[in-house]
Amino acid sequence: MPAARMMNSETARYLASRLVTTVLIVFGAMLLLFTLTTLVPGDPAATLLGPQATPELARRFVHDMGLDQPLHVRLWRFFAAVLAGNLGVDVISGRSVVSIIAAVMPYTLILTFSAIGLAVATGLPLGIYAATHRGSVMDNVLAFVSVAFIAVPSFVIAIFLLLIFAIWLGWLPVLGTSRSGAFLDEFKRMILPTVALAAGWIGFIARLVRASMLEVMGEPYIRTARAYGLSERIVTYKYALKNACIPTLAILGLGIGRLLGGAVLVEIVFARPGIGRLLYDAIAERNYPVVQGTVLVTVILFVLVNLLVDLSYSAIDPRIRREAISSAKAA
Amino acid sequence: MTAVLISQTPAGARELKQREGQPLVAVRDLTLEASTARGTVHILRGIDLDIGRGRILGVVGESGSGKSSLASCLLRLLPANISRLSGKIVFDGTDLLSLEEAAMNRFRGLRIAMIFQDPMTALNPLFTVGTHLVDVVRRRNPSLSRQAALARAKIALESVGLSDAELRLRAYPHELSGGMRQRVMIAMALLVEPDLLVADEPTTALDATVEAQIVALFQGLRRDFSGSVVFISHQLGLVAQLCDDLCVMYGGTIVETGPVGEVLSRPRHPYTRALVACEIEDQAHGERLVSIPGEVLDPVVPLTDCVFAPRCQHTTELCRSAVPRLRSVGPGREVACLRVEELA
Amino acid sequence: MAFAVLAVLRRTCASLTGAMGFIVVALVAILAVFAPLIAMHDPDRLDVLNRFAAPSAEHWLGTDHLGRDLCSRLVHGARVAMGVAVTAIAIAMAVGTMLGILAAYITAQAERVVLIVFDVISSFPSLVLALAVVAVFGPSTLIVVVIVTVTLIPHFGRVARAQVLALRSAPFLEAERILGASGTRMVFSHIVPNILGPLLVLASMDIPVVITIEAGLSFLGLGVRPPLASWGTLIQDGYQFLSDSWIPVLVSSAALAVATLGFTLFGEALRDAVDPRLYREH
Repeated sequence: MPAARMMNSETARYLASRLVTTVLIVFGAMLLLFTLTTLVPGDPAATLLGPQATPELARRFVHDMGLDQPLHVRLWRFFAAVLAGNLGVDVISGRSVVSIIAAVMPYTLILTFSAIGLAVATGLPLGIYAATHRGSVMDNVLAFVSVAFIAVPSFVIAIFLLLIFAIWLGWLPVLGTSRSGAFLDEFKRMILPTVALAAGWIGFIARLVRASMLEVMGEPYIRTARAYGLSERIVTYKYALKNACIPTLAILGLGIGRLLGGAVLVEIVFARPGIGRLLYDAIAERNYPVVQGTVLVTVILFVLVNLLVDLSYSAIDPRIRREAISSAKAA
Repeated sequence: MTAVLISQTPAGARELKQREGQPLVAVRDLTLEASTARGTVHILRGIDLDIGRGRILGVVGESGSGKSSLASCLLRLLPANISRLSGKIVFDGTDLLSLEEAAMNRFRGLRIAMIFQDPMTALNPLFTVGTHLVDVVRRRNPSLSRQAALARAKIALESVGLSDAELRLRAYPHELSGGMRQRVMIAMALLVEPDLLVADEPTTALDATVEAQIVALFQGLRRDFSGSVVFISHQLGLVAQLCDDLCVMYGGTIVETGPVGEVLSRPRHPYTRALVACEIEDQAHGERLVSIPGEVLDPVVPLTDCVFAPRCQHTTELCRSAVPRLRSVGPGREVACLRVEELA
Repeated sequence: MAFAVLAVLRRTCASLTGAMGFIVVALVAILAVFAPLIAMHDPDRLDVLNRFAAPSAEHWLGTDHLGRDLCSRLVHGARVAMGVAVTAIAIAMAVGTMLGILAAYITAQAERVVLIVFDVISSFPSLVLALAVVAVFGPSTLIVVVIVTVTLIPHFGRVARAQVLALRSAPFLEAERILGASGTRMVFSHIVPNILGPLLVLASMDIPVVITIEAGLSFLGLGVRPPLASWGTLIQDGYQFLSDSWIPVLVSSAALAVATLGFTLFGEALRDAVDPRLYREH
């Protein structure tokens, strides 16, 4: 692969600016979270410690947490702590927030990656089919179904799936993760949540791929390929698809935020452990360090994935049309 | 080049001898119509044309004359809004218009190759030159390995005058200049070893100095390429330099054909005469430039009389009464004018 | 002006999906505005003896776990959904548009700052942000509206700025400038009317997004507070008592699904109808 060619000064500048934006966003998030915690109404110690707070305990707590320090000191200590990988301590169990998040993270990651995998594996072929059979009955049906999947929130889809497959038909187990730990059982319990989460993306990807493919198929270079008698297979899957990936990827990054929000809700509907459940429970318990830590980790993940998606352009498009990307995002 | 292969079998040699006298491509009554918001557009109105074996045919006309559409018909690569395609295009004994798509595709990239007008948009920006060429070579010789195909591609690039062929193979289209890209397209067409090469205004998108280089390349081609060539252009000068035969198109019809020297030195059709007169180089210094008054006939209007009648200086009642067909006025010379004898 | 609106609406309804979307939008709007008149019962009236009643003439969709009439609660849910959506979008559009127009006129440095702020805000997954804020301040309808508004401001800001930039070179604006029109006059009399089209389309396409966020938060119990009941709350109630009856969760989910789908179909048909390419037919 001509890797050397990719690292020209244009690419380098683009990557640098994306990196800077990413760092800014993470800092902005940290700032925001810090601001929120300082805004907690009422006495912080009483709120954080709950009913067990005696005046003595409260005083010690305030001192330990450094809550009696001036604001800018607290801000600095907060940033320093986060950068050192310390997200605080769970007020209820005393375990470090990082370890708590690390314990549930795998569940969310598996669910999310499975959903993305399913979405691409389903959405991509559907989009290509719709593009190559434009105007057919199937194309119109797919168009409507795509909108339906995109418009309806994923937790509603989750509930419908739950109703249909778990309650009415009884095909799949209902809630939670496997107690026995058996792979098949675990797998069966993952099916509905994964489908619910993937649905919106399937619609999204199918539409995007269809639109990009149709646009690409009309381009002169596809005409050249046809003029040289190259098989429809090569024209569609080797040439057109690659060209269609670029605008698709540009818009794809925009959907990641939805995916995250959807994951939270889907985990709750199916009573699965994960970052979503963690956040929800922590809010109910007023476990602020956990809330803060979880939100931060989520935002960082989100931002990193966006960065990765943007960076993947350089692997595909040797020209990196930056304006095209940023204008696609603005649209 | 293909002619050599066929003649290697005794049966093939006999057949070849039989066919040598006949044109490679015989177009008869080719009509092309498209449906648009404004109604039916008549793009080609009953074209009759012969492309001789091993000959270079120049097709000239203004924009809107239908010359690019003619090229598209030869390859049968037409847009979706075409409502009528009738007539015959007999390519070496087979009527291309009667074929199923799969059968037609066996001609593209094997026996017919096309060079497009704008090489920047005609090449896929995400693939290297090498990939483009290898795909074309392997279509022709599916058994070749990628290495072997690349080797052939390299030779082809060198034959069109590209230095550092290895480097060019690894380059992406946007990394090459306009002239280099067009050379790549020509190399691509030559790799097909086609019986018919269609060049659709190959120099129009290039600037003057580069154009001269490509013209020189085509002149070299004249020597080395044994197939037939259709060279489409709106520039008479180019066609004069490069072609054996000339075909003049106007308003979706052919108005005059014949050997290039004869047609240009003694044009018989009023439009051809006007075109020749318009050539700036012939104009004496200080005189007003000659132009042809009026506009091309609106393609939505069906043809009932001579297509050039509204702008012709010699129009009479006769011209407005019937559609002139191509008539022979000498060996290999045909003119579509009802008054051609009078205007000699 | 009214004629133009009617013409656009007609084009929107020309397609099947556009017409379907319009019907849903109209229906939800009517329910929202006239809820108290349309609902057959008081949505908050408890009748615990009659919980999980099956659909009947008295209760068209049955009752929930506290005996309240589901149908009436659904109708009032439309009111909550539209209330939050319209408020949040109206404010976001006003603020975002002003910021966007401002961004187009101020210095390049200041503009970059504004754009970066837009980028940062829109880079946050909105639901997660909402949860973070709710964790601190406790759930309330106000919080939901504020968060959604803040999330939407960059949307409108970016589109407004792009429109203004495109418009700036328009000849008629040059003429006005030469004639000495003041800045504010130019903005209000000329720029705003011209960029209104795309902004309204964006607004209509954002309605289902807002409804979704609000419903999601209410589903988690972190959105609107009782006595207000949004569709999200109803879904949660139904979900909790799934083992007793699946009707409540089904109808409330269906209501949310139909509403979001309808608004999305309408928004897309509207966008296609307003497309500048179609303007030339006028």
